[in-house]
Amino acid sequence: MTSLLDRRTFLKGLGIVTVAAACGGAATPSPSASATAVATAAKTAAPVTGTISVYSALNQSTNDQFFAAFKAAYPGVNVDVLPLAAAGELQTRITAEKANPKADIFIGGSSEFHDPLGKQGLLEAYISPNAKDIAAQFKEPTGLWTGWYTGIFGFISNNDRLTKEIGGKKPATWDDLLDPAWKQKLVLPSPLLTGGGYIFIATQIFRFNKDEDRAMAYMKSLHANIAQYIPTSPGALTLIDQGQFVGCPNWSHDILTEKGKGNPVDLTVPSDTGFEVGAISIVKGGKSENLAAAKALVDWSITKEAGDLNVKLSNRGSTRTDVASAPGAPSLTSVKLVNYDRQWATDNKTRLLQKWQSTVGL
Amino acid sequence: MRSLQREPGVLLALLAVVALVAIFIVYPQVRVVVTPGGSYTEFLAGGTWMKPFVNSLQVMALSTVSAVFLGFVFAYAMVYTDMRWKPLFKVIGILPLLSPPFVVAASYLLLFGPRGMITYGVFGQTISIFGLGGIWGVQTIAFFPFAYQLIADVLSRSDARMEQAARNLGAGPWTVFRTVTLPLSRPGLGAAILTTAIYVLEDFGNPWVVGGQFTVLPTQAYSLISGFGDFTSAAAVSTILLALALVLYVAKVRLDGGRSFVTVSGRASSMPRPPVPGWLSSACFAACSVLCGMIVLVYGSLVVSAFTLTFPVNTTFTTSHFAFIFSGANGVALRNTLVYGLAAATFSAPFALLAGWLVQRGTWRGRGLLDLLLIMPAAVPGLFFGVGYVLAFNERWLDWLSSGGLLIILAMIFWNVPVGYQAAVAGLRQVDRSMDEAARSLGASSLRGFRDVLLPMLGSSLRVGFITTFVRAVTTLSVVIFLFTSGTTVATIRIFQLVNDLDWGGATAFTVADIGMAMAALGIIAVLARGRVALGGARA
Repeated sequence: MTSLLDRRTFLKGLGIVTVAAACGGAATPSPSASATAVATAAKTAAPVTGTISVYSALNQSTNDQFFAAFKAAYPGVNVDVLPLAAAGELQTRITAEKANPKADIFIGGSSEFHDPLGKQGLLEAYISPNAKDIAAQFKEPTGLWTGWYTGIFGFISNNDRLTKEIGGKKPATWDDLLDPAWKQKLVLPSPLLTGGGYIFIATQIFRFNKDEDRAMAYMKSLHANIAQYIPTSPGALTLIDQGQFVGCPNWSHDILTEKGKGNPVDLTVPSDTGFEVGAISIVKGGKSENLAAAKALVDWSITKEAGDLNVKLSNRGSTRTDVASAPGAPSLTSVKLVNYDRQWATDNKTRLLQKWQSTVGL
Repeated sequence: MRSLQREPGVLLALLAVVALVAIFIVYPQVRVVVTPGGSYTEFLAGGTWMKPFVNSLQVMALSTVSAVFLGFVFAYAMVYTDMRWKPLFKVIGILPLLSPPFVVAASYLLLFGPRGMITYGVFGQTISIFGLGGIWGVQTIAFFPFAYQLIADVLSRSDARMEQAARNLGAGPWTVFRTVTLPLSRPGLGAAILTTAIYVLEDFGNPWVVGGQFTVLPTQAYSLISGFGDFTSAAAVSTILLALALVLYVAKVRLDGGRSFVTVSGRASSMPRPPVPGWLSSACFAACSVLCGMIVLVYGSLVVSAFTLTFPVNTTFTTSHFAFIFSGANGVALRNTLVYGLAAATFSAPFALLAGWLVQRGTWRGRGLLDLLLIMPAAVPGLFFGVGYVLAFNERWLDWLSSGGLLIILAMIFWNVPVGYQAAVAGLRQVDRSMDEAARSLGASSLRGFRDVLLPMLGSSLRVGFITTFVRAVTTLSVVIFLFTSGTTVATIRIFQLVNDLDWGGATAFTVADIGMAMAALGIIAVLARGRVALGGARA
């Protein structure tokens, strides 16, 4: 190696180290959402204190502003966020850590990721006083988890390729995806690896009134049109953005976000679709002095303020009826939903995934 | 080495190595394998692992052959020929080692997918990279640098006099290569094949992104946990991987037989290598150019994406992604990455060398077992290595381990021991035992002989261990994903988060910063070692 190159890499390295060190301070909380949150703090009289460790499956941008707003509402509470936008990994981690739980709160991700933890006795039951505003279908009856946001399953298509190869015809129903024109042009988030992929299968079962054989026959026919099962839901969106494939069933809120960035894609919500309930739960066995603070976060996350903020940040819906949906976003009342039996879908997940695997031969 | 009773220093060192291996390699894996639950044998009997098993073997055979072949060509070109641009090739050749997960594999999709910018954009082809072909191609490029480093290390240390002697006796270049160069490179070649094969077996990230429906054992293990929460079956898959590594190991030991590869004896050699024919230099140059061109393309697209608003839709120049990643928690993650990587490499490389010396020069019983255990971590998918550490060390009285990042460093050290260890053993096999004996007959203890005589000759093995541990430490996601805390987050975790956030610009900028930082760190070390520590590990 020449000494010139050496010196240059050396200087470059020095620069980066200095910058990294200079930026070593804590993240500055964004002031944007604080104004409304302070009003809430005034209402909640008893000052709650403590430090909570939060395992968060939310997006980074949501994390920053959401917890800043919470801190503004509860100044005595310190939030230590462990961000990992993969609820399955967080579920696994909480299971692996059960000998000495490190988390106080598990927030984000479909309730399907929270429910098994509750069944294993790893969650603390808590029925928040604010949960009275949340319909029964969005919460676990004993308070093991509480649903605070919703996501609707939609369909993303690449504009250019849809026009050229499918005649511009967006699917009005999920059955439209069986058209041979879609052959090898669809992708689907892997039902084995993603929450969304499984909800898609469960949706088909509910669409056929729990006639599993018809639903599996549908999945088998659809399999012929699916080029790949993608290991993450966002990864599948990127492939459609790039036009690598033409379409993909995926989360409406994320599709809207992608479209908003200027990608040549569009959102359709076929009728008889399914939806997720994003949950928050308290992990059992954390430090007892933090329990009050953990409960405060559950209380706050199902307020109207938190709901409005999350809708703005993520395009998702809220489990509260008084929170309006994001501009252009579908809501649970504006689309035709299947009768989604969440508890049944969660309880039968392993069996149905195995059935699906043997049906399509994966 | 004399008998251990007469050398308390050696005995102590041995006991320390054994204890560390037992605590940080064996115990966590035992905890993974013996997770309670009755479906272990049931799963093995069920046979759903057969197809991924066969797939894994297929991928291993293909990728190992091509990666080691490329590694050999690259190493030969660097050590033997006088081709142009060697320093440039050296730097580019190390890039694939610095591939944080997902982003680089995703870059292959962008370039070579069904509508890839190269495959479709330039050549109008819609061939799909998904599946066996894709994994093979991506792994070949991802793993050839390991083979290159191990082979170059051995080639550069082999004695030029043997080749000169053969030439003087009338052998042509091809005969010299076949009968002298190739046989003498066997310790490096063996180490390269073993290490590459095991790393290919264990590889999760590449099959995950480009594998599609082509399931291999690590991806199956992951879907068992992710889809079914079935830890026991996943642990069973991990055990199958370990068993395969064991078979590879035994095969390698058998093949090596008791041959001697000694090429470094006590007498100094300053003879130049016999010149390589001009056409061969040109051929090597062409091969290296094609390979490096491909690498530049893949990493170049990351740099372009890092400096544009939303690549490839909106290619307006911006530095906003970098402004973002150097702010707040992101800056801390970069700093942690650097600190943990350097700490792990600083400990892992000498540890591997010491262990290599104890095993290779020792005569004590049970060496074979320690030898095997030191290679084993390479066969453990990072995910299971991390989970093992959680299961083994997540105790209240050990909380200080995880809060300061020490647990992450320990995991990085012991997960990455195999390459440094392999380099040390390969290197020691080249050095004549008469060297140690000379030191001892002059009154030095074995440890002193190791420190003063062998260590200076094994600098390049130490370097291979250091570089490998460092680059793997700064690019691993799966090992740290269950170990990091909010204060000890690292770059790969942030990249993973940004990828899932669909912030491609941020993710690529972070990747570029991570790679740049790692290259800079290696560059600084190169400067500090007064240029003797060349990046690629080969002395030309």
